[in-house]
Amino acid sequence: MSIQSICRYIYVITFSLVTILCSSSAYAQADTARADTLSGKKVRIPDSAGHQLCLGIDMVNPVRNNFYSDRYGYEVEGDYYLRNEFYVTLEGGWGGSKVTYTDLKYTTTNTFFRLGFNKTILPRDNKKDWDMMFFGLRAAFTPIDRSAATFTILDSLWGNKTGSQGPTKFNAIWAELTGGMRVELVKGLFAGWNVRGKFLLNQKSFRNEAPLFIAGYGKGDKNAVFDFNLYISYGIRWKRKHFR
Amino acid sequence: MTKWNKYLPVILLALCSVSWVACTQQRQPCLTPKIASLIMETIHFKTDTSTVFVDTALPSGLFIPLTNIGIDSIKYPLGSTFTLSLSPDTTICQWRFTSDTLNAVAYYDTFTFYYQRKLQFLSNACGYTDFYSIDSVHTTHHIVDSLHIINTSVTNNVNTKHLQVYIRHNF
Repeated sequence: MSIQSICRYIYVITFSLVTILCSSSAYAQADTARADTLSGKKVRIPDSAGHQLCLGIDMVNPVRNNFYSDRYGYEVEGDYYLRNEFYVTLEGGWGGSKVTYTDLKYTTTNTFFRLGFNKTILPRDNKKDWDMMFFGLRAAFTPIDRSAATFTILDSLWGNKTGSQGPTKFNAIWAELTGGMRVELVKGLFAGWNVRGKFLLNQKSFRNEAPLFIAGYGKGDKNAVFDFNLYISYGIRWKRKHFR
Repeated sequence: MTKWNKYLPVILLALCSVSWVACTQQRQPCLTPKIASLIMETIHFKTDTSTVFVDTALPSGLFIPLTNIGIDSIKYPLGSTFTLSLSPDTTICQWRFTSDTLNAVAYYDTFTFYYQRKLQFLSNACGYTDFYSIDSVHTTHHIVDSLHIINTSVTNNVNTKHLQVYIRHNF
């Protein structure tokens, strides 16, 4: 078993543990705003936690870029606290790959977007507690530009053949399951990580041109991949109307 | 959730380590054949008028590509299944064939393949190759009685037979 296989299994196990933890802890979740019943009429108690817009950058990809000479990627994220421990998230980034094998050469670039939500699974200590352990879902999209590819078909019988194929554009769509945690180091400044299981939804449409690397996703010829992010982010907060 | 603060560095360190170890840069090995293979089976009728045919194991089959630039010939040991390839530069190619090079008088037949090429991306590990669609196959008739194309699509799938070659019953 190769090191890569072992690492893949560690990723899978880690991700599974997070998912199991999420599902088991969901019962213990105490929402800060909940529906209450008063004389048969539902009254929504306002969320006292306030508003928070958090913007962050991923620190793993810049490190990875130094280890890989054939690919690069950058990611940023933003999330906004809605209520009931739900955060709407928007993530994005850009990257590319450069294939320079002896028999295959091309480059790809792409800019990606992810939209989804995070749900906190641990109760707050108080309304100023913005630490979170969460799970989430994402829908992701990226248009991919692939340059003209030059290739050599190695054939010892008939002789090698060199050719090229023109540039192409195609789209990749995938879904993500994610889980992780984020803690407030100092006021407003957060650090956190998450693991992601990514599932490509339309690989058939570009199977014959699968790029080496799709920024935001990973290996273009895999239907499912696991990934890891480490975010440093800053939260901007303001109070809700009811609690001013 | 302050109790998580003290565990954070350890968890981060572990996950970062896993992430870095996983970042080994190498090209994945190519695990599929890179060249499309035409697989041919030799069979013969039991008698001149029989409709029953059986596999014919050629004692020492020799295949010679007539338009090659490299290898002169491919010699096979005793067997009835043979693998050929088609020229990626043209849409016609020829192979000479004899059933037994050990025989003092060797009779040769020539197969002429007419086909269309289609460029195919296999994977980043394997690169590109050509797949083929056979239009027709012609042959001379010294040893060969007739040909039957079973499958016109020649790909890198090595489990598909494409051509049945009926050997004359007296060979």
